[in-house]
Amino acid sequence: MRVGVEVGGTFTDLVAVDGDEVRIAKVPSVPARPDEGAFAAIEAAGLSPGRIDDLVHGSTVSTNAILERKGARIAFLVTQGFRDILLLQRQSRTSIYDLAYAKARPVVARRDSFEIEERIAADGQVIVALDTAATAAQIEASLGAGDYQAVAICLLNGYANPAHEEALAGLIHERFPDLPVTCSSDVTREFREYERASTTTLSAYVQPVLDAYLTRIERQLEAQQFRGHFSVMQSNGGRLPPEGMRRNPISSLFSGPAAGVIGAVKCAARSGHGDLISIDMGGTSTDVCLVENGTPGMSTETEIGGLPVRAPVLDIATVGAGGGSIVWVDDGGMLRVGPPSAGADPGPACYGRGGADPTITDGHIIRGTIQPESFLGGEMALDPAAARAAFEPLAARFGMSLEEIADSAIRIASSNIVRAIQLISTERGRDPRDYVLVPFGGAGPLHAAQVADELGIDTILVPPNAGVISAYGLLAADYVHHASETRRLTVDDAAADVVRRVFGAIKAREAEGLADLGLSGKLVYAYMLGVRYVGQAYEVPVSFSEDEIGKLTAEAMMERFAAGHRQVFNFGDTGEARAEVVNFRLSISAPLGALPRFTEIGDLAVDSRDATIMDAGEARSYRLMARTGLSAGDAIAGPALIEETTSTILVPDGWRAETDAHDNLVIGRDERKGRPS
Amino acid sequence: MTKPVLDPVDYAVISQALGAAAREMGAKLVRSAYSPIVREASDCSAALLDRLGNVVAQAELIPMQLASMSETFMACARRFPIDELEPGDFYINNDPFEGGQHLPDVFLYSPVFFEGRVVGFGATTAHHLDLGGGAPGLNMEATDYYQEGLLFPPSKYNMDHDWNGGPFERLVRANIRVPDQTIGDFNAQFAANEIGGTRLIELYRKYGAETVEASMAGLLDYSERRMRAAIAAAPDGVYHGEDAIDDDGITDEPLVIKSTVTIAGDSVTIDFTGTCDQVALNLNCPFSSTCSAVFSCVKSILSSPDIPFNEGAKRPFTVTAPLGSLLNPRRPAPVRARMTSSYRAFGATMRAMAEAMPEAVIAGGFDTTESVCLSHLGRDGYRIYLEIFGGGYGASANADGSDGVDSPLSNCSNIPIEAIDMDYGFFRVIDYSLREGSAGDGRQRGGLGIRRAFRILEDGVTFASYSDRFTLAPWPLFDGEPGACARTRVLRGEEVIEVGAKASMTLMTDDVLILETGGGGGYGPANQRPADARAHDEAEGYLGSGRDAAE
Repeated sequence: MRVGVEVGGTFTDLVAVDGDEVRIAKVPSVPARPDEGAFAAIEAAGLSPGRIDDLVHGSTVSTNAILERKGARIAFLVTQGFRDILLLQRQSRTSIYDLAYAKARPVVARRDSFEIEERIAADGQVIVALDTAATAAQIEASLGAGDYQAVAICLLNGYANPAHEEALAGLIHERFPDLPVTCSSDVTREFREYERASTTTLSAYVQPVLDAYLTRIERQLEAQQFRGHFSVMQSNGGRLPPEGMRRNPISSLFSGPAAGVIGAVKCAARSGHGDLISIDMGGTSTDVCLVENGTPGMSTETEIGGLPVRAPVLDIATVGAGGGSIVWVDDGGMLRVGPPSAGADPGPACYGRGGADPTITDGHIIRGTIQPESFLGGEMALDPAAARAAFEPLAARFGMSLEEIADSAIRIASSNIVRAIQLISTERGRDPRDYVLVPFGGAGPLHAAQVADELGIDTILVPPNAGVISAYGLLAADYVHHASETRRLTVDDAAADVVRRVFGAIKAREAEGLADLGLSGKLVYAYMLGVRYVGQAYEVPVSFSEDEIGKLTAEAMMERFAAGHRQVFNFGDTGEARAEVVNFRLSISAPLGALPRFTEIGDLAVDSRDATIMDAGEARSYRLMARTGLSAGDAIAGPALIEETTSTILVPDGWRAETDAHDNLVIGRDERKGRPS
Repeated sequence: MTKPVLDPVDYAVISQALGAAAREMGAKLVRSAYSPIVREASDCSAALLDRLGNVVAQAELIPMQLASMSETFMACARRFPIDELEPGDFYINNDPFEGGQHLPDVFLYSPVFFEGRVVGFGATTAHHLDLGGGAPGLNMEATDYYQEGLLFPPSKYNMDHDWNGGPFERLVRANIRVPDQTIGDFNAQFAANEIGGTRLIELYRKYGAETVEASMAGLLDYSERRMRAAIAAAPDGVYHGEDAIDDDGITDEPLVIKSTVTIAGDSVTIDFTGTCDQVALNLNCPFSSTCSAVFSCVKSILSSPDIPFNEGAKRPFTVTAPLGSLLNPRRPAPVRARMTSSYRAFGATMRAMAEAMPEAVIAGGFDTTESVCLSHLGRDGYRIYLEIFGGGYGASANADGSDGVDSPLSNCSNIPIEAIDMDYGFFRVIDYSLREGSAGDGRQRGGLGIRRAFRILEDGVTFASYSDRFTLAPWPLFDGEPGACARTRVLRGEEVIEVGAKASMTLMTDDVLILETGGGGGYGPANQRPADARAHDEAEGYLGSGRDAAE
């Protein structure tokens, strides 16, 4: 049996797959002790750990440790003269008219930052050698005096030559063998010292917290006779055994959104779709991701709480439009949705926990797209009167009915999602019409048709049990490891051979580490070069398969780069302008053999009937039914509202939904109605 | 409140889309640029203009450049009418006396055509590393603007005929010292303009001209309405403030700037009568820069940061400054260091507003663009390094001033040391840190200044810089203490050479150039500072005497 357990802010979700049998569970999270929520979910699903062969876990432990500043006390070692790089940051402000501007607080105190006499040049040459004896004494004094739980090292140009970082790590290890040390060259081999130092310190900061958390789970599993494989989700969409995660804790950030994307990818793959845009609508926000040929876009530039992170993550755009997002009017009279959110507590007004602000979930209740009696399979009571009361002032202000104002708010939420999708599609030179929309999360499938209309998308695929896709993504994920290296290389006739050589070296080095983790057998490699025109500072990613790398030529590199540059920036040529490779990234994955099945669970009873729903400014009668009422091959024409235990799907007029042979609900334009203009 | 004419959903959606398009233009300009001053420091701005040239949406990059997007545009459109534009045409202008800032900030406007007519403009400006003139990157000796670089008067050219290898591009290329970087940055500007155009056309296609144009007009009215509401909430009255530049770079006399702010109902008038006359060197501030400084100051004080800054937001303002004064100079005054005077116009206005709204203002910070240029002519041509340094922010009623941050009218990032190490072999940065002990004490303390040291690795390196607050300290508010003055010096063997705020000199191998920028002034009496805040500063070493003792 394979089991995925995903700890979210409000709920902990579980999906278990055993042959043809699928079980799901949703229990309240325990924010202070997320592992309790995880074991509660296992119990709620009626599982005993002894029966589980493969357990995959995703949690927000690292993310929360950073956001709440509850990580380890760490020391930071840096090149002489640069102790303050974490405080100076990039000197700029993210809000230009804010007079009381405050920078994001680093996770290391200034007094815990120590300068080391050494200097390496951009090409890796040693300018000032490390004085081992003096440095050893300095380390003994500085680290011995503090009560440190971890050390982060980031030396200037350490990405080009990690020798000094490694030497320092060695000196620390000799004197303080139990102190975990994180070198910047092990976290990210890319230039820009502030961003690399930030990533390194964040990694060191969460490492002891994550280690303790994983150890707690491992002990608990052992006590409960678990004998299967245990692995943990990463931000890059792959999983790793706990030991791999302990080595690279920064990759544990943002694992929840990544799991959702993988779940969507795996479900859509069964129906033969590889070019997707996923929409994961949660309580406080919505995450969207663009997937090409089954591979989600990657980014190495992200941030957490204002602190930069340079580690490969799925290229996910987030917008503050979730079920709990508050609907409000600004002082210029514009109707707005989010980013403020009622969160899990008090939650939307209809939760009846004291929330008074109108939210998107309340809006859905008012316009009829959430039917209170079947919310979360009817297990959670909702208060429609509270939802209506919350929207009253807005309705009065705009001179609209409650249904109209709720519908307006929902359209604005959808358009906020559209903006996020444009960020990862049109702004990256991709046309959203070439992709299938895959909505999930509780309310994602309610907004999907509206979003598809805005973007001109023709096909929507709703995976089974759409409210727990992230947990499914965990157990369906491959093992993935990324490695990168910065090295400048002019694209000339000799370049292709150098590229092959560099990748060969990275491969040899990484294979060893993977073997340690027990990952061997059939590995799949994906190659990516970061290329730019000479003189530029930001690279365009250019991908190659194993086969293409073997046959690579300078012309092929140049052509593919120029095309990529044009696609994003509207200019780029292969003529006079010279190009250079700046970094090399290798993605190594160990794919699962067979994809675990996923079928809609059938315990929701909905009486088929008609209900009045206001959608896109129009009130009309919708057919209400349970998703399980549509067997493979069955179709229903909109307008219809299809309920499942964990989610609700809106099929407006002009659309037609059909369950396909893989339990996905595929919604397309209803040809008999013609396409809207 | 009356019901808006526009459907509230269309309006909200189109407004968001316009803002997003401008942000995308800005982000792509930075990411595809060639010179460190644009690609690392982000000294550039981007906006979408409506078909009449009003800024409707902007990428929030550099406050100073943004407020003059429209004036610079109008100077072009007056001479080369919009209805005579053809696809491929563009406007160009960097004339400080035609709406521009200083010469390096070149404004480019690309018309957007939809169904055969102009419906708007993609607009960008970027600080170009070198535009010729009397010295690489920065000529501190210039006594008129001709010596400061190439002037592009408000003009119209065409991409196909004049740029892309055409005569205009060739002319520009031949007159500048690092053409690959500069022309590369121009091309990044053109491409960003085009991206803005593409997004605008998408909106016109989807929603139709009428709805998009109504939304654009609505967005201007929206910003105006929010700005007026904020002004109306401020107490009516006439308020006076004053600030001064250390000196004019020739004598020791401070240059005094006086601001009179009149708040009446939902309008504000700012007048600079009493300000000193224009000067011989480059501190002169073109009137459009004066206006930009004042808009940014008052907007920051009065309104929430999320009011989109567009032409509508400027409607409640009237700004006047006597012709021939430092803040409204006559041609052909040199203007390169106009940021210095802009900041004192900002400061004088801030002090006037401190009377009206003591809780909403901040004390004087370093409030200076310390512009530093190192250049070297080697065998393979010129290498030019230019970087902008901020310092400490002034403290406010409820917060300490921000430490080591670019000053309020600008927003340049630093250039990563590792990028400098890759690109420049004639010097090396050996220290970059917060300047301990530089913050003005107070109930809330000012921010700390920045310290930066360079070791020179070749003979004959030219150093040029303009800065300020070397003798007149960043002022406190309400009985706080002033921030530390800035200082620049060169260590040459045993010798310490003090360098003025406005200076250029030749550096030799092994010279060490040390910059220290000013800290921010404090807010409220120092004896009211909470003990835990003081203990924290002590533990973190912010109160120390800095590295000087160890030197």
